[in-house]
Amino acid sequence: MSVDTLVAILVSGFVAGSLYALMASGLSLVWGTLRMFNFAHGTLLMLGAYAAWYFSDSKGLDLGLSVGIPAALILLALGGILLYALLVRPFIARPGADLVVIITTLAGASFLQNAAQEGFGPRYKQLDRVVKGQVEVLNTAIGLQELLIIILTPIVLLLLALFLKRTKLGLAIRAVEQNHDSALLAGVNVGRIYPLIFAVSAVLAALAGIMLGGLFFITPVMGSDPLLRAFIVVVFGGLGSLPGTIVGAYVIGIIEAIAVFVVGLYWAPVVLFIVLILVMILRPTGLMGGKV
Amino acid sequence: MPLNVDRVSAGYGKVVVLHDISIAVGQGEHVGLFGPNGHGKTTLLRAISGLIRPSSGSITFDGAAITTLAPRQIVDRGLVQSPQGNTLFPRMTVLENLTLGAYAGRAWGKRRESLARVFALFPKLAQRQGQLARTLSGGERQMVSVGMALMGAPSLLMLDEPTLGLAPKIKDELAEAISAIAATGVTMLVVDQDIELLLGVCQRLYYIENGRVSLETREGERIDRQQILEMYFGTAQR
Repeated sequence: MSVDTLVAILVSGFVAGSLYALMASGLSLVWGTLRMFNFAHGTLLMLGAYAAWYFSDSKGLDLGLSVGIPAALILLALGGILLYALLVRPFIARPGADLVVIITTLAGASFLQNAAQEGFGPRYKQLDRVVKGQVEVLNTAIGLQELLIIILTPIVLLLLALFLKRTKLGLAIRAVEQNHDSALLAGVNVGRIYPLIFAVSAVLAALAGIMLGGLFFITPVMGSDPLLRAFIVVVFGGLGSLPGTIVGAYVIGIIEAIAVFVVGLYWAPVVLFIVLILVMILRPTGLMGGKV
Repeated sequence: MPLNVDRVSAGYGKVVVLHDISIAVGQGEHVGLFGPNGHGKTTLLRAISGLIRPSSGSITFDGAAITTLAPRQIVDRGLVQSPQGNTLFPRMTVLENLTLGAYAGRAWGKRRESLARVFALFPKLAQRQGQLARTLSGGERQMVSVGMALMGAPSLLMLDEPTLGLAPKIKDELAEAISAIAATGVTMLVVDQDIELLLGVCQRLYYIENGRVSLETREGERIDRQQILEMYFGTAQR
């Protein structure tokens, strides 16, 4: 394997890993606190990309990326809260709520995908790149946008970790995650933590969507593949464990990049699922998960 | 009466655990609850703290009804519970656990003084403040649990089996700390199986059986070990 292939594999692995880390950490937060999976998480990525496109592109409001990106993030934060209020909140106290919420979020995802198709039309869209051009590393050209994603994502995740570790609100989120009743007894307003979690996870997904939208086309179903990978990552890294999720995301990203190189694009998902099955057999709680 | 539980029935789903139970705790009083396992002592504390809502009856604290308030509102009024056993935040440090104890609005501003008090009471916790809760011993966890409740700046402190499953030496250490807390004058409601502990700390006791108060002692009334054994084994029912 030549050096430039290796660099190319690493770059595409880390870019994919970054996207998966952003997606999976949101899923993991929701799982950790509510013990529910949000199947509409992929549509949040898609909506983030469309929102950024609509605000920034000349065929939309033409305000440029400097407005488009923050606007999309704010809009999606509200979208996350709305999604919680409509699809999760009404069912949360019912028996079997976790299963009901799978159905309601799947329904929501289907609705939002079709709404996007209806609202934005079938023509593929693309976001402007935040940074244009390439750099040469070891005689291999790397796009600056890719490099930005690789550098920016760990910073975002670090900020997330600091928020969870150092702020009062972060402390409350972790409390709800680790012991629901004790969090109540400590005086945490658990009912207000849930929408907050959805807002944070939606912003992370939107960020992934904005990154993806600058590399590939924006389509109503663009969130499906990253969501599937994020599920693999969350299970692989250990349900509810944020460090496990982040490490898992990069591992899955690299494995996928290698698999694409070795067995091709179509067989790469098969490789991922084989890896997942192996992990499930050898370490059922995931890489860093303590309990399920 | 700061705390008045009046004919409360409560349970989980269709299972009724408490049947028209009434207890009262006076200002500055230390009251003990004891009785066999699975007869509703913990459920009663959960109902008082707002974790479960009574199906009937009322609970008042400092003259105001708290029956339908959320747990955080009850904690913020100074009615704080230290829950049973392994109820910490396992992947957080001792310091983080204690800090969460002061989460409710009123207590947050006083958290530094409260922390100093907790560390003075349990010097061991000061040494272990950076350690993850799940790596603590049973006794240390219990200390954190009591400490968390103290961080909530309680005017009425409820302790749920603070010495459950502890080795005798650790038990003594906790009993001593609980006596020290009692000596500060805070009103207390203590559930424990260790009758010696209750006799040492409490002025009055309720014996709870089948979700009802089946016996209560009056203040000043001496109750000895023998009588309690008889209560447990049913030979001295009045």
